[in-house]
Amino acid sequence: MHILSSDVILLAHASFGVIGCLAALWVFVEALNAGLANRGRIRTASLLTALAIAAAWICGGFWYVHFYPAEKALILGGPWPFAHNLFMETKEHLFFVTAILAFLLPIAAREEADSNAAARNLVLALSGLIVITGLTIEGAGAVISHGVKVALLPHRDPVFHQASKGAPSWIPGTAAKLHN
Amino acid sequence: MDSGNGREAPQLTVATSSFVLAAVVTVLFSTGLAWAKDVYAPLKNFLRSPTGQDWTTHGLVDLLLFIGLGLIFMRTKTSETIPPRRLIGGLVVAVGIAGLGLALWFAVV
Repeated sequence: MHILSSDVILLAHASFGVIGCLAALWVFVEALNAGLANRGRIRTASLLTALAIAAAWICGGFWYVHFYPAEKALILGGPWPFAHNLFMETKEHLFFVTAILAFLLPIAAREEADSNAAARNLVLALSGLIVITGLTIEGAGAVISHGVKVALLPHRDPVFHQASKGAPSWIPGTAAKLHN
Repeated sequence: MDSGNGREAPQLTVATSSFVLAAVVTVLFSTGLAWAKDVYAPLKNFLRSPTGQDWTTHGLVDLLLFIGLGLIFMRTKTSETIPPRRLIGGLVVAVGIAGLGLALWFAVV
């Protein structure tokens, strides 16, 4: 097993993003049932959302600057260039929106959502938007990863298809399986 | 604000409403900046100069704008006159514009 720091950073980025989305969903559910009893939980989960999204930003930003250029070149040279041109471009800019919403959430959660309808609506809107945009970003991340994968898989390469028709020699057994 | 039945309508504190308004402005600004740097290479190069990456600078500008505007709106109490419903609606619309606007932009342009 050979795990690089870039692998850890990338997986930490995605994991922190998921934790942020789950924490925002937690806030949403608590705000639906806002009362004196769960005021503290709303504030704790809001803070967790902001911290997780901040961590996702730091990990993702470091990975994007230091390791993504090589993957970008693979994607653009592969069969799914839209994984960068559409999905990464949208993801990397939509992330700022999610981050701003996540940083606003603990401020909104300082209000008394249990007794103030406007505050409750704000917390519901913010947490709901974080879940929607966050999950959209997670999905885009999956498409980007698949964009790299299809660029590396030999059976997606037309040259491989051409070569493997007659002599499946350079990856033993693979071409034969593909044609069975 | 009088709701017409003699009771006060629920309000947000100045701090919260100020940062909501700051978030609306920042989300729209960020989307506009993403479009602008995509069509105007000199802007992208300019954003690249302070940090080496335009995306990094873009994020820092967004963060500073959000905090700065929030503090300015708090001081000037700009958001106090805006009903909470309009602030929340504005935020939802701004995020909708950002999400759809970015996706459509990068799909078409």
